[in-house]
Amino acid sequence: MSNTLQKNKIEEVDHSLYDFKDAVHPSFETNAGLTPEIVEQISREKGDPDWMRAFRLKSLEIYNQLSVPEWGPPIDGLDMNNIVAYVRPDTPMRGKWSEVPSDIKNTFERLGIPEAERKSLAGVGAQYDSEVVYHNVREEVAAQGVVYTDMESALKGKYADMVREHFMKLVPPTDHKFAALHGAVWSGGSFVYVPAGVKVEIPLQSYFRLNAPGAGQFEHTLIIVDKGAYLHFIEGCSAPKYNVANLHAGCVELFVEEGARLRYSTIENWSKNMYNLNTKRALVKKGGAIEWVSGSFGSHTSYLYPMSVLQGEGARMEFTGITFAGRGQQLDTGAKVVHAAPHTSSHIVTKSISKDGGECTYRSAVTIAKNAVGCKSSVSCESLMLDSKSRSDTIPAMDIRNDDADVGHEAKIGRISDDAVFYLMSRGISEEDARAMIVSGFAEPISKELPVEYAVEMNNLIKLEMDDKSAPVCKA
Amino acid sequence: MAEKLLEVSGLHASVEDKEILSGLDLNVSAGETHVIMGPNGAGKSTLGNVILGNPEYIINAGKILFEGADITREKTDARARRGIFMSFQSPEEVPGVTLEDFLRVSKTAVTGKPLKVFAFKKQLKKTMAALNMDESYAQRYLNVGFSGGEKKKAEILQMLTLQPKLAILDETDSGLDVDAVRIVSEGIRQYKNESNALLIITHNAKILEGLKVDYVHILTDGKIVHTGGPELIDEISRDGFHRWEESAAQ
Amino acid sequence: MEEQLKNINTLPALTWNHLGVNRAELIAQQTGKSTASIPEEFGRIKTGMGEEAADFAAHNCTDYHVIEAEAGKEIIDAESMRYSLADEHPTVDVTLIHAHEGSSVTVLQSYTSADNTACFHGGLTKIIADKGAWVRLVQVQMLNNRSRHFDDVGFLLGDGAHAEIVQAELGGKDAFAGCLALLEGYQSSFGADTIYLGEEDRRLDMNYIARHTGRKTTSDMTAAGALFGHSDKIYRGTIDFIRGASHSVGHEVENTLLFSPEARNRTVPLILCSEEDVDGQHAATIGKINAQRLFYLLSRGLTEAQAKQLVIEAQFAPAIAKVPDTALQDAIKEYLGRRMQLD
Repeated sequence: MSNTLQKNKIEEVDHSLYDFKDAVHPSFETNAGLTPEIVEQISREKGDPDWMRAFRLKSLEIYNQLSVPEWGPPIDGLDMNNIVAYVRPDTPMRGKWSEVPSDIKNTFERLGIPEAERKSLAGVGAQYDSEVVYHNVREEVAAQGVVYTDMESALKGKYADMVREHFMKLVPPTDHKFAALHGAVWSGGSFVYVPAGVKVEIPLQSYFRLNAPGAGQFEHTLIIVDKGAYLHFIEGCSAPKYNVANLHAGCVELFVEEGARLRYSTIENWSKNMYNLNTKRALVKKGGAIEWVSGSFGSHTSYLYPMSVLQGEGARMEFTGITFAGRGQQLDTGAKVVHAAPHTSSHIVTKSISKDGGECTYRSAVTIAKNAVGCKSSVSCESLMLDSKSRSDTIPAMDIRNDDADVGHEAKIGRISDDAVFYLMSRGISEEDARAMIVSGFAEPISKELPVEYAVEMNNLIKLEMDDKSAPVCKA
Repeated sequence: MAEKLLEVSGLHASVEDKEILSGLDLNVSAGETHVIMGPNGAGKSTLGNVILGNPEYIINAGKILFEGADITREKTDARARRGIFMSFQSPEEVPGVTLEDFLRVSKTAVTGKPLKVFAFKKQLKKTMAALNMDESYAQRYLNVGFSGGEKKKAEILQMLTLQPKLAILDETDSGLDVDAVRIVSEGIRQYKNESNALLIITHNAKILEGLKVDYVHILTDGKIVHTGGPELIDEISRDGFHRWEESAAQ
Repeated sequence: MEEQLKNINTLPALTWNHLGVNRAELIAQQTGKSTASIPEEFGRIKTGMGEEAADFAAHNCTDYHVIEAEAGKEIIDAESMRYSLADEHPTVDVTLIHAHEGSSVTVLQSYTSADNTACFHGGLTKIIADKGAWVRLVQVQMLNNRSRHFDDVGFLLGDGAHAEIVQAELGGKDAFAGCLALLEGYQSSFGADTIYLGEEDRRLDMNYIARHTGRKTTSDMTAAGALFGHSDKIYRGTIDFIRGASHSVGHEVENTLLFSPEARNRTVPLILCSEEDVDGQHAATIGKINAQRLFYLLSRGLTEAQAKQLVIEAQFAPAIAKVPDTALQDAIKEYLGRRMQLD
């Protein structure tokens, strides 16, 4: 049965589950700020190949030339001079949970990662601050030729050429200031290669945990799904709350080859001191499909617009997203799609909820190139305002450059209807529960797209605390 | 003497500063079936909303008692838990909440007891079959995309599931075709017993066929101007409300 | 002398620069005429194209009109603001309309070319609709394909006032239009009906903003257009609910018909909201004529050109019907018909 009724109180997203801190005792960290020396130091520490060292320094130059965007929520609270770009945990990467140092292992256990791996995942990667501390993939999956490893290993191992060929080709450092920053100081992340025709039936998951205060996390995820293959990849993010700004400027590059399909699910629950300036992009070849599922609940400030470049004829993209902004949060989220080939299609469905002074912005861009005839695009976004302290903006743009296109867009904004509350109350449901029921019903079409194991996390996120006396709990 | 369920006395109510009910009195006891008839705009729907405590309607004077307790200022959900139910004229659509989940929660709320899920499911299936409702509706979002007739059936399904002491049916027959009226009437007959009561708000006699009506009240200009037996139904079907509208005007 | 205006039709909330929709630039032609005096009461009215355009118009005014409708009176002016441009002469008209309590005002402004010279037109219209007043501003632009044009409009609405703008942007080389309505009064309402036609290398750049600050206010913006040739069009439509504008409703719809593989259409429909108790909606459809409909019309013996014309006219009809002069209505239809024959 659906879990709609258990997520019953419209509380702020509960963060207590994530808000425990480990003592910080890294084996190495850089000084705060960003200089060529620091970038060189990171490169040396990581034992980069030469080309990567040069790439980092070039990216830093670009970073210094670019300015922050003139749109979007303010990021004044983020001072790069105070951000520690690289924090290496005091452990090498492990292939068994038992070998991971106990404090770090405890962290991931409290987050339920090892358990999820045993139950329902084909492989798991876990990053702690700047480095991946655990990586493992099921034998039968590895036997199919699926590669799932940390980026550092991939950069030096058998797939070094493949990595070099794809690394930051889709999101070049020139893309925007924080892509350049990423290029300069990236560390950690995952590399996945699914060979042609291989269908990975159960998902792979990476979990990112930022523990050190004032640090940045800049992981790089590179996934190549070869012709006709299928993969579901899940990423989860969390951090304890500190009263200094933390920064997450990760980069995700997804290559979906001919006829392949990739589902990419994210539950982002960074703490509320986090600036989440993340860049995600997929390149989809002929007949391929990218499906994004995105839940944004955490962060102080987010800029997040997964982009799909539909490069091959008949390529498809679907984007399903939900954003919930509570007190002090400014979450600017959405999607971008470029129809660069004929008969490609895009379908975007988003919902947002603003509460307690939280600010949600839905931002999107749908571009249909001149040669991309016969394309279809539909966008539907709905926003719910729970009070008048909050804010909700919808900023979509469509750029259509040929006449053989079918583009539809609709957006709605509103509140919980008094009539609906009265109707539910007339059936004995308290006002609070009635409102909660309407909100979870509003989110339901999106939350049901989230991976099953994350539905549990979703329950933790939209708080399920129920008042035992008045609320009718049904356990089914 | 039957147990008194609802006692409304001297009720004045308004919506957006306009008085709709102007001194209404009504008593309903267990086992009885009451019918409220009246021309459009007489305040029929307001009466149901006020008994259920819709916050859009302001009570300016008067009292509502249920089983002797004063519920005039009580919140809607508390009234529902006392056993008052209303079948809405145009029920709200609630996306994302399935009919079954909703019934489960409201049944638990109304009874205050944990639900036996298996028995509940079985009973739900049976009731839906009796109402000629496709089982798939249980998994559909509450009223979303239901036709007018399906919405009304879903209301009756809720009534049969929640088993209220007093059921108010607000124009439950409107928008229904002949077959649907028959099925809904059958559902209402199934519900009715000696310990509960029905208050049927209607301007159409069709839905009353086959029901044993005890009292018919004529509501015009916010007041009950006449109370009689079931013979009034035929008279109104024939002659309309002129008689009482004139007498009210005098 | 030319003057470059750099912050024109600015999007009320900015987005990615590469989309080219955040703002526009336009080259205006100075007239050397004197400055129009804008009375204090009109000074605070903001316009859709923004201050630069409004200031330029005020400083280069060639035609100045003030319309004041006394309380309860009705004014219909469909004659005095018809501009026929010729001989490369620039025209910049400034019109101030004050509809006092309970009055009713209908104003027609039309811009056409008398010859084939490249002319410049700039317009600024500011409107105050007091309590219970009713105002309709109709602007029809059918300049030749060498001319440049802008029309900048601002409304201020009092309690229960209703104002609407009907804009037909059908000609010119570069056409800019902007309109901002400030719905300040309780239960005030605003409507915008825009129709546009893109052809050859026409550039159309529009910015509509309905800003709700009063309670129970309503806005309804509709745009319909057809793009031919190499035309390039941007339509920005913003519903802006400010905190306190409770019980307000804002709706916006744009339908764009595409007739050329070389045309470019950009649509940017915004809803900005800092008030919980509102109902805001926008919708846009962009594409070819519905194939079923076209087939149906062809099956009744219409040629493709006739069928397209019929469909476009049907889209434009509600706006054209509001033009307060049947001769001009016919002229618009004829103008559209001629354009369709060219295709």
